[in-house]
Amino acid sequence: MPVDTRRVRGPEVSQSPLLFACKPAAVFSSHGPRADGRQRDQVDVRPVFVRCGLVSQAKGSAYMEAGDTKLMCCVYGPRETERKDDTDMKCGRLTTDMRFAPFSCPERGSWIQGSQDKDFSLMLHESLQPALCLHKYPRSQIEVNVMVLENSGSVLAHAVTCASLALADAGIEMYDLVLGCAIRQDGASYVVDPTYAEENGNGSDSSDNQGRLTLAFLPSLNQVSGLQSDGEMTEESLSAGVRTCIEGCYKIYPVIQQALAKAVRRAAPPPSES
Amino acid sequence: MATVQVSEAEKVYILHGIRDDLRVDGRGCEDYRHMEIETDVVSNTDGSAKVSLGHTAVLVGIKAEIGKPRPMAPNEGYLEFFVDCSANATPEFEGRGGEELGKELSNTLYKVFNNKHSVDLKKLCISKGEHCWVLYVDVLLLQCDGNLYDAMSVAIKAALFSTKIPKVHISNDEEGGKEIELSDDPFDCMRLDVENVPCIVTLCKVGHRHVVDATLQEKACSVASLIISVTHKGTVTCVRKMGGGSLDPESIFEMTETGKRVGKALHVPLMKLLQQEESLGTRQKVGFLG
Repeated sequence: MPVDTRRVRGPEVSQSPLLFACKPAAVFSSHGPRADGRQRDQVDVRPVFVRCGLVSQAKGSAYMEAGDTKLMCCVYGPRETERKDDTDMKCGRLTTDMRFAPFSCPERGSWIQGSQDKDFSLMLHESLQPALCLHKYPRSQIEVNVMVLENSGSVLAHAVTCASLALADAGIEMYDLVLGCAIRQDGASYVVDPTYAEENGNGSDSSDNQGRLTLAFLPSLNQVSGLQSDGEMTEESLSAGVRTCIEGCYKIYPVIQQALAKAVRRAAPPPSES
Repeated sequence: MATVQVSEAEKVYILHGIRDDLRVDGRGCEDYRHMEIETDVVSNTDGSAKVSLGHTAVLVGIKAEIGKPRPMAPNEGYLEFFVDCSANATPEFEGRGGEELGKELSNTLYKVFNNKHSVDLKKLCISKGEHCWVLYVDVLLLQCDGNLYDAMSVAIKAALFSTKIPKVHISNDEEGGKEIELSDDPFDCMRLDVENVPCIVTLCKVGHRHVVDATLQEKACSVASLIISVTHKGTVTCVRKMGGGSLDPESIFEMTETGKRVGKALHVPLMKLLQQEESLGTRQKVGFLG
């Protein structure tokens, strides 16, 4: 490898200057209203902006914005499966890939998919699979790619919603849409659809009952297709959290339906009455 | 994942059995298979344990090394998890075949331990911002017969219990530099408090009921399972839905409740057993895998 001797190269490992700040930039206080004016302990999700069919090359695509969280999703397929060794050819295959743009988080990420991204991809896969009629697509595979442009919390939840919207836009047969919602439990109270600071902040001084929960939900079948949590939570707050997340999913349901109806109307405009 | 072929008739048999709280091997729906635990099995590690649960066998070795604390937490050490799916367990794991499952298992372990109370990470700090202990937790799957998560978590808890980290002393020399001295006495070591280390309980939804510690055959009959990691106090540190199916909210509530109950009940005999084994002292070992 040629070495550039004329320049002083930077250190191999570098750190964000934010680490050296005296005070963390955004403190997640555990009392009072939230930084963006939303209410605690209420199903107060951020207003979302959704659009379908923005990428012309893809079979289906969707773009979603919730607060500062921005992500886009493209669906390719169904096309012939790459792997021929798969024994189960009667069912189609779903492949998911979720990536973060290197500039999406406060700390710079790398372009190479890390183990965290792989974990997100797997969660996305497990959340979407129950909703798809994969038996209608034998010997084929459907690819779902999610790119997170800006991470401002609850990424997985919104990625699930966005991906199901893109799948619907691609005309893939589904049993139901999949909606995602996340909460952050902080002691006795909770915040719905947390921002990045709320998600990763330390919260109140008492470090008990601090947890994060993400849920994927099929609204018209009333089924939970994805669930994951970490941190510490009592069983009661976990059950309450699941209920809250379901409620949060119902809140964004009409917006998603509307966006989908709009995309369909644009693709096939109703015959004009002339 | 290692899978078995189960015919329709077998599936119906298993399903109907579970409906009547009777499983193929005679257990109830919330019973574990016979579990064997042995600690201090590999001498080159700082802590190790072997757990066999039915025909599932897991070996965990923990190595403590000195590293640099993460910039986000300068006064804490950290744990690294690595799960290796050996081709011994099933030929599917040969080459890179086990990589995906290994990643999945280790990512879940990071989630399970992603809280302040499981392991006291502050104790692993040697000098703030400069040196800390890094515990490399290496999990090796020797045999797969379902319920890897539970066996793995019990083995990790047992291995952490047996981990002995040598005591180090930091001395300042004249030039203001710091020097790390390792104690010569092999008995002068630090033990970890494993009271709060969670155990994972996997619940498989089979028909309208859910079972604990599913075998491969039972797993083939279920479309979705829920893994719940529970501490001895009943706090849930991780929940995750696995498998290609979905669950209705009511069964999730039932399953978390069962998971908490079963998990809490698992900790008491486990801790007692580990302390009992410790008090036995060194014993004559005959064979390793036997």
